[in-house]
Amino acid sequence: MRKNTLIDRRTCLKAAGATLALPLMETMGWAESGKDKLPKPPVRLGFMYMPHGVLQDQFWPVTPETYLSSPPPALESLRPVLDQCLMMKGISGVPISPFNGAPHALELSTWLTAILPDAPTRNRVNIAISADQVMANYVGGLTSLPSLELATMPQTHKENQEGLHEAYYSHCSYRSPTQAVPAETNPRSVLNRLFGATDKSGQFSKTDPLDRKMLDLVIGGARDLRKTLPQNDQHKLDEYLDSVRAVERRIASIETRQKEAALEKAGVSTSKRNASDSPPIEIKIPEGDKRSEYMQVMCDLNVLAFQTDTTRVSTYIGSTPNGVSYPELGFTDQHHSQTHHNHKDEEKMRKVAEITKFNIDQYAYMVNKMANLREGDGTLLDNCIMMWGSGLEDGAKHSRENLPFIVAGKGGGSINTGRFLDKTKGNQGDLLMTLLACAGIPVDRPIGIATKEMGEMKS
Amino acid sequence: MTKLRIFRISPFVAALVLLGAISSLFAQDDDPEFAALQVDAQKSFKDGVGPFAKKYCFQCHGNKKKKSGLNFEVALKNPGNPVYRKHWQQAVASVKAFDMPPDDEDAIPTDEEREQFLEWIAKIKFLSPKDPGPYVIRRLTKVEYGNTLQDLFGIDSKVAEDLPDEVFGQGYLNNLSSLQSEQFLQIANAVLEQPQMQKMFESEKPAKGADLRKEARKFAGALARKSYRRPPSDAEVEVLLKVFDLARENQLDYAGALKLMTKAVLVSPQFLFITPAKEVVTDKKIVPLDDWQLASRLSYLIWATIPDAELAGLAESGKLHEPEILKAQAKRMIADPRSRALFDGFGAQWLGLNELETKTFDAKKFPQMTHEMRSAMYDEARLFFESIMRDDKSVVRFVDSDYTFLNGTLATLYGMEKTITGPEMRKVSLNDPNRGGILGMPAILATTSFPNRTSPVIRGVWVMEQVLGEEIPPAPANIPELEKQDEIVVANMTMRQRIELHVTNPTCANCHKVLDPIGFGLENFDAIGRWRDEDDSGGAIDAAGELPGGKKFTSPGELKAIIADRKTEMARNLTEKLLAYAICRQLEGYDEIVVDHLMETIEKNDYRMQTVITEIVTSYPFTQRRIKN
Repeated sequence: MRKNTLIDRRTCLKAAGATLALPLMETMGWAESGKDKLPKPPVRLGFMYMPHGVLQDQFWPVTPETYLSSPPPALESLRPVLDQCLMMKGISGVPISPFNGAPHALELSTWLTAILPDAPTRNRVNIAISADQVMANYVGGLTSLPSLELATMPQTHKENQEGLHEAYYSHCSYRSPTQAVPAETNPRSVLNRLFGATDKSGQFSKTDPLDRKMLDLVIGGARDLRKTLPQNDQHKLDEYLDSVRAVERRIASIETRQKEAALEKAGVSTSKRNASDSPPIEIKIPEGDKRSEYMQVMCDLNVLAFQTDTTRVSTYIGSTPNGVSYPELGFTDQHHSQTHHNHKDEEKMRKVAEITKFNIDQYAYMVNKMANLREGDGTLLDNCIMMWGSGLEDGAKHSRENLPFIVAGKGGGSINTGRFLDKTKGNQGDLLMTLLACAGIPVDRPIGIATKEMGEMKS
Repeated sequence: MTKLRIFRISPFVAALVLLGAISSLFAQDDDPEFAALQVDAQKSFKDGVGPFAKKYCFQCHGNKKKKSGLNFEVALKNPGNPVYRKHWQQAVASVKAFDMPPDDEDAIPTDEEREQFLEWIAKIKFLSPKDPGPYVIRRLTKVEYGNTLQDLFGIDSKVAEDLPDEVFGQGYLNNLSSLQSEQFLQIANAVLEQPQMQKMFESEKPAKGADLRKEARKFAGALARKSYRRPPSDAEVEVLLKVFDLARENQLDYAGALKLMTKAVLVSPQFLFITPAKEVVTDKKIVPLDDWQLASRLSYLIWATIPDAELAGLAESGKLHEPEILKAQAKRMIADPRSRALFDGFGAQWLGLNELETKTFDAKKFPQMTHEMRSAMYDEARLFFESIMRDDKSVVRFVDSDYTFLNGTLATLYGMEKTITGPEMRKVSLNDPNRGGILGMPAILATTSFPNRTSPVIRGVWVMEQVLGEEIPPAPANIPELEKQDEIVVANMTMRQRIELHVTNPTCANCHKVLDPIGFGLENFDAIGRWRDEDDSGGAIDAAGELPGGKKFTSPGELKAIIADRKTEMARNLTEKLLAYAICRQLEGYDEIVVDHLMETIEKNDYRMQTVITEIVTSYPFTQRRIKN
């Protein structure tokens, strides 16, 4: 039987300890800084997801004027950083016709693609490259991981809405139109991915120095095999080659890092990192199955990945639309079932409000943490764009005219935060285009249904 | 696409030339009967479906409006194109359920017209060319990968635990992401650190003065053959030898070099994917699977692991593809305990039990839903599935049986805890006609419920779709949910009375008059599968109902008998689902004709489970592949 991927034991990583050859400074990136200048940290872009939309009066500020002074209940935990957040009301989602019967299969899969799956081939994955992967294509090569995909719920839901492939239900990230990127749900594996495998005592094991050359030979062999295969098979093998090359690159950068670390230990400064920067945060992998702890350790890992410039783009699926429960809140009802309250059932609405707040609390935990980490002349958050959002406006109506989202972080100075713009006009694609532009990504074609960049977001 | 051209010729001329044209097109089939059926199908679409669709459908589902993404004007130009399969399926489901055209349209077809329409559409299968589909090389699933490592090296398959779980559709997500690739490398490292692996490398110590490279070549050849599940090409062995050289150049000892070579095997596409034995050089579009590929396909289907020595031997001698041998092998493999993989991979998915372990239940209401209880529920379904498969019983027994498998924990749900105690699962005879078979089985009753109550609708849909293979059209968007109903009016109603409100709404009534009675018939089973006489509201359960065709029942047992009587539908549904699983893709076009043929034999053999399996593994799409488009 399928085992739940829960965490079995506790590990503390003393990140500042001398035993850790990492995490350290970025050695391959931050290229734009000159020799004598203070390095300008790169912009990182993260997306965090909650399904089923929000209760409007719980989420949206009453007026732009009261945004900072009396934020709505759902945003309470963001209060310390609201001046570093931007909210805009009026961003519409992708109209889902002809898939009217599939609001939930599409809320997540359209979220970062801003487009619908291809209708004639709906039983396979065929949508579009997602915004996070567009960014990974530009900057992924500069860091050891091109992108990081996290989820705190398995992506295995089986439900057929409108004949759409099951993967649409639980994936937001698409490497190519036909390749859904699976997310990592186990914190320990994420840690291993970020910094190389650890043994039981939390020590990092070294990478095998011959792995890269060995993989080179294997890739060579795979190319020979490719020639003998029919075309369809060749495409499959290309995915393989693409993925193995990414592994090679990651090994290379971990090796470089470990060398740098050794040098630094010997007193040779190779780092472009500032002495004043905060040390990498500590990761504690929780033992039990408390949802808040599970979600928070993933937040920590996301922060650590950005802080150490191990990757510059991440997605984090808090839960997929088929509904997780929140026993910590004192009830076991699944999220989805509670959203069908028809704006009448007060108990359900209360539960939806609590679930939404719970999710935003976890996001706030992450953002607050970033706001307290020094980086360059400011904070880590200053150099990040962390978007939280949902693919539906209101779960009771399945509407998508006015999607809820929060953008935290100044994106290296590109975003004008501390505001609530209550009369924005734009769509999900416009928003994604603008975020990519703020992250310095030259986008050569629109994201999904995008028609413009939204100048009002920018500084 | 040649047929498209034929289709555009006026039907009069076509009728004259079609027979000749098609029989030459499909000369390899040599089947004039099939050709005649094709002609007939063309005619039905031209003269029947076309005018029907024009009259009743085009207004909303044509070039102008394309509601729900359905455009029958386009679909009709090439109705056999698999792209439009979904169009026709939806048309069938909606027309059958009197869902379409909507009641407020001016033109509504008569019942006879509807029936005629469905009959015409049923012929669509004859419009697809004979095609087994491509056999795209496929990645081992997480489970297959773990089992394969276990069988190759004798290490625990848990080593693969951290791989992401698979997303299953009909087939699965046959992708490889860098996340997975990286984990494959990590797992390879973990495998190589196991003590038995170290021992194996150490034991390969060649004699003094031996040619190490020659010895390494032998090792590589043998390892690749087992791991790639076919004889490796010279070039493939050569790649491994280069890895050996690399290790030696870097001062690794012989064992260390073998270790690096083994790592290379474990991250090679030939290991992670099932690949053909050698390149097929031919002009043909469709070729048989080579015997090695067939051995892997069969082995991964029934055992979820590498072929054993006997299978490999038959592949080696080139005999495996002979139908009688293939069937005998399938039967041999079913008898082996490893065939439980067919339940874990297919059965659990079919019955919807993959989420049982992690599904949330209201802990206050159902404290019984412990890990032990969930495991016992799963094992009950598994042992039951295995008994039908190994004892070669009729698939009808899935619904209607007089035995099950219980342990002390699970027996509490059956009220049999006095006689059945202890943790061991054992076979138990049942006297209660309401139990016995999947409709009265706690695992299924629980997974088709909400965390805190039953859902007659979900159960009804489950029986229709998973047991009988009926397509249920999706509920219209923004339907009012149960909870939307006026609280005061419904406060004192039983679940049944509340749900029966469906039938007062014409939009809902068409489907729910079929779905709901089935769910009501199972209302005596609570959300974790215990028997009850009253529902949560305190009202008495009324399990009586009537299914279309006037079949009446008053208890779950009687409902079960009615469903079990629909043998052909049940067997066909199971055959279709298992075939799709076996060939890792959705069925389309020509597959339906394949299933028609399989069903003839299966029916003759009283719907026996082993016949279903042996028919599938000797079927056209299982044994052939298309290599060119």
